[in-house]
Amino acid sequence: MRDNKLKYILVLPAIIVVFATAVWPLIESLRLSFTVGRLTKPNFPQGYLGWENYTWAFMEEPAFWNSVEVTVLYTLITVILTTLIALGLAMLLAPGGRLRGGVQTLLILPFAMSPALIGVSFRFMFNPEFGLFDAFFGVVIPPLAEISWLSDPTLAFVVCVMADVWGWIPFLTLVLIGGLASIPQDTIEAAQVDGASSWRVFKDITLPQLVPVLAVVLILKAIFSLKTFDQIYMLTNGGPGTATQTLSHYIYFSGMKYGQIGYSASVAWVMVIPMILLTFLYARYVFQKR
Amino acid sequence: MAQVLLKNITKRWGDFVGVDNQSLAVADKEFLVLLGPSGCGKTTTMRMIAGLEEPTSGEIWIGDHVVNDDLPKDRDVAMVFQNYGLYPHMTIYDNIAYPLKVRGTPKADIKPRVEKAAEQVELTEFLHRKPKALSGGQRQRVALARAIVRTPKVFLMDEPLSNLDAKLRVTMRAELKHLSRQLQITTVYVTHDQIEAMTLADRVAVMEKGVIRQLGTPDEIYNDPSNLFVAGFIGSPAMNLINGSVKDGYFITTGGTRLVKVDGGDRAKVILGVRAEDVDIHESGQGDIDVLVYAYENTGESVMLTLQFGKQRIIAKGDRHLRKDMDDVVGLRVNPDHLYLFDSETEERIRY
Amino acid sequence: MTGKQRKQFWNVIQITLILIAAFIMLIPIIWIFLAAFKTHVDVYQLKLFFTPTLENFGTVFDAPYNLGNKLINSTIVAGVTVLFAIPIATCAAYSFSRFRLRFETSMLVMILATQFVPAVVIILPFFVMFRDLGLLDTRLGLIMVNLAIVMPFAIWMIKGFIDGIPLETEEAAMVDGSTRVQVIRNIVLPMAAPGLFTAGIFCFIIAWNEFLFALILTNKDAVTLPIGLALFKAEEGDLWNLLSAAGIIIMLPMFILALIIRKYFVQGMTMGAVR
Ligand SMILES: Nc1ncnc2c1ncn2[C@@H]1O[C@H](COP(=O)(O)OP(=O)(O)OP(=O)(O)O)[C@@H](O)[C@H]1O
Ligand SMILES: [Mg+2]
Repeated sequence: MRDNKLKYILVLPAIIVVFATAVWPLIESLRLSFTVGRLTKPNFPQGYLGWENYTWAFMEEPAFWNSVEVTVLYTLITVILTTLIALGLAMLLAPGGRLRGGVQTLLILPFAMSPALIGVSFRFMFNPEFGLFDAFFGVVIPPLAEISWLSDPTLAFVVCVMADVWGWIPFLTLVLIGGLASIPQDTIEAAQVDGASSWRVFKDITLPQLVPVLAVVLILKAIFSLKTFDQIYMLTNGGPGTATQTLSHYIYFSGMKYGQIGYSASVAWVMVIPMILLTFLYARYVFQKR
Repeated sequence: MAQVLLKNITKRWGDFVGVDNQSLAVADKEFLVLLGPSGCGKTTTMRMIAGLEEPTSGEIWIGDHVVNDDLPKDRDVAMVFQNYGLYPHMTIYDNIAYPLKVRGTPKADIKPRVEKAAEQVELTEFLHRKPKALSGGQRQRVALARAIVRTPKVFLMDEPLSNLDAKLRVTMRAELKHLSRQLQITTVYVTHDQIEAMTLADRVAVMEKGVIRQLGTPDEIYNDPSNLFVAGFIGSPAMNLINGSVKDGYFITTGGTRLVKVDGGDRAKVILGVRAEDVDIHESGQGDIDVLVYAYENTGESVMLTLQFGKQRIIAKGDRHLRKDMDDVVGLRVNPDHLYLFDSETEERIRY
Repeated sequence: MTGKQRKQFWNVIQITLILIAAFIMLIPIIWIFLAAFKTHVDVYQLKLFFTPTLENFGTVFDAPYNLGNKLINSTIVAGVTVLFAIPIATCAAYSFSRFRLRFETSMLVMILATQFVPAVVIILPFFVMFRDLGLLDTRLGLIMVNLAIVMPFAIWMIKGFIDGIPLETEEAAMVDGSTRVQVIRNIVLPMAAPGLFTAGIFCFIIAWNEFLFALILTNKDAVTLPIGLALFKAEEGDLWNLLSAAGIIIMLPMFILALIIRKYFVQGMTMGAVR
């Protein structure tokens, strides 16, 4: 068989699978968002609805706006915190050696842990009666033991952020260590000989050369923060009230719990748009590399 | 202005010895070249002077105090790295200006000094570019400019010409020589190219396996090697080294050929060293012995003959007009005035 | 302080920070491990020192929890997903790596992009379709949607590995008279085998940990391990010792798999973006 035919035959199955499992549902969601109406309205289902589902979300549902707010805040905080801590940790661990290498290996563990399980373990640790947090800090700072973490809207959000940061730091750290390793060592040594202090070496030489990797890390983390679901579901299930209800969680609830398929499809599409932007940013970095 | 002093420096990684208990004094304003084969510890020695590597034991002096505990930034040295070590995200101007900036030089001073350094290495027109947009030779000169923009106590240069093509290397070598005479700063220069070493150095330290085998002027190193390693390493083509013995005032090869008259008493096991240019070629019958031409090579400026007698081969350098062919017979005479004898066991020079 | 003393001082601080970080990374895991070996009573008394028991691991496999079923479901779903994904992805990856295709960049970006589409968006139409086809709560349905998240990873990762195989080896074989298909079978596949293995393990972990699809598409017969965690909510609150035991059953195999392929872990995750 000639190569120029074979090469398309080889990609065909993969393209079919990707279309069937990702592209089709994406388009089908869009169709649902324009055609499947509310359960509570008469003559359901009806044909083309226009923007009805969208205007409903934007105009009539404070819960939608609440979840937008939660998601944006959650994304901002987790992206910044995770990246900063991971950068610090990467700088600490990058030199290698036995201790540092060992800790690098340990970092793989949290990352192989299912996010749902991370949610569970944090719920466990912050349990007000017998969580680890109380056991540990309650002894040192007694007032802390009194706090019922997951029933307070702000603190529940804080715990969600902690769980997210805990789960993602290892991965970002490992990526950044890879990025640091790709910086030519002699540029750093040249700066040391040129007279730069450790801080200036970092600021003038290391950081600027790390920017491409840092950008990828930021974009990736933003994408994954935006779609957070598993942890939240297991940790607070969006509560107390809707204090930690992210967009994904809101979509799940309105679609599955309340059966508003068309409506949740439209909210889902609202969420897809920033994703597409971020993805293209990411793709640009990936392809720029070659 | 400063001298550099290494006192019993050893560098070990685990069991592996990179530099073995070496001492070395580089005088003020001296241009010292570290020469040796790959992996002999040249870079390691230099990095210890810069403070990028910590010696396992021994003292390093720059000027009149010990710098073992000083960080690289406090040692006031300038270094040209083997692979340049340019800052890829900065323009050439910023690259050259960086050592001044981090040392808090007033802004007004920086510009003229950068421009002067750039001019010295003929880079003025590239100042606004990034390193990526320069050729290897141009990058090389940026690295050099970054070193000469300051007046450090010591220059450290690690094979700064190794990545250049042959032609550019010759030009840059001359430029370097000119610069070093002009600047008059103590310099330690690493290379494994002996022509570079011979042309640039005030003194050469020849290293092997972490040990300095000989320290001397280029002249001494070439004409008066003190051991077998230095004799074999310096010179191109390499010195002929022939196993044999000395009996009755003559050198006899292991094959039994009586080759040349040598002074001194009888010795059982020696190695005779003779440079290709000290092997004279005559017409058959007119030399000391007749030998067969094994290979004939014309390099343009001279001809090389590989000559064979018995199992022994010897390389001779002949006049560029000499024409011979394989299997021709020629007469050979070894010039008795430029011979070196080495002890086969200790590999040290036998002086007589 | 001399430069060297300052350096040593910093080194001590660094090592302290590293140890603290390592400790924080391990706490939640250790906490689960401890709880899994505690009795019901010990868990609620916050004991650090206790007599370990294996009882919890027995209980979770008994009725009414029957974690064994979930374990089988998870294994089959993740395993079959990988068995489908890897061959399909390998073919595509080879083609992307070795040939110039029309719309190659667009296809690659599209594949990359599907990785980032929120799972909630994908799952709605599948839910509707499976409801109509009677595929809800079946392993088959779950395997189909899992392919959606696994395929892009697999393609990009394997492409990265094939990119690393020198072209000359293949060309030499072609000059020697092999057909393209023979080259793929005899040269490329053996050389890419470690990569395929790594990608397989990677996809297995992803499918094993998958949560949202299983949450929405299953409720009884096809429930997987992560969803099974919800079983341990009782009237009187969460049964932490049992939750922890189940947690270990979920995470321990993945830890082992992840450590086997640790060299490629990060590389696989960023799909060649950072190298
Ligand atoms: N960090 C290190 N750990 C272990 N061994 C090292 C290390 N750095 C260098 N070496 C070893 O020390 C020896 C000397 O290395 P060095 O870099 O000084 O050689 P060199 O003379 O500069 O060689 P070249 O001409 O190839 O640059 C080498 O055998 C090298 O493998
Ligand atoms: Mg070197």
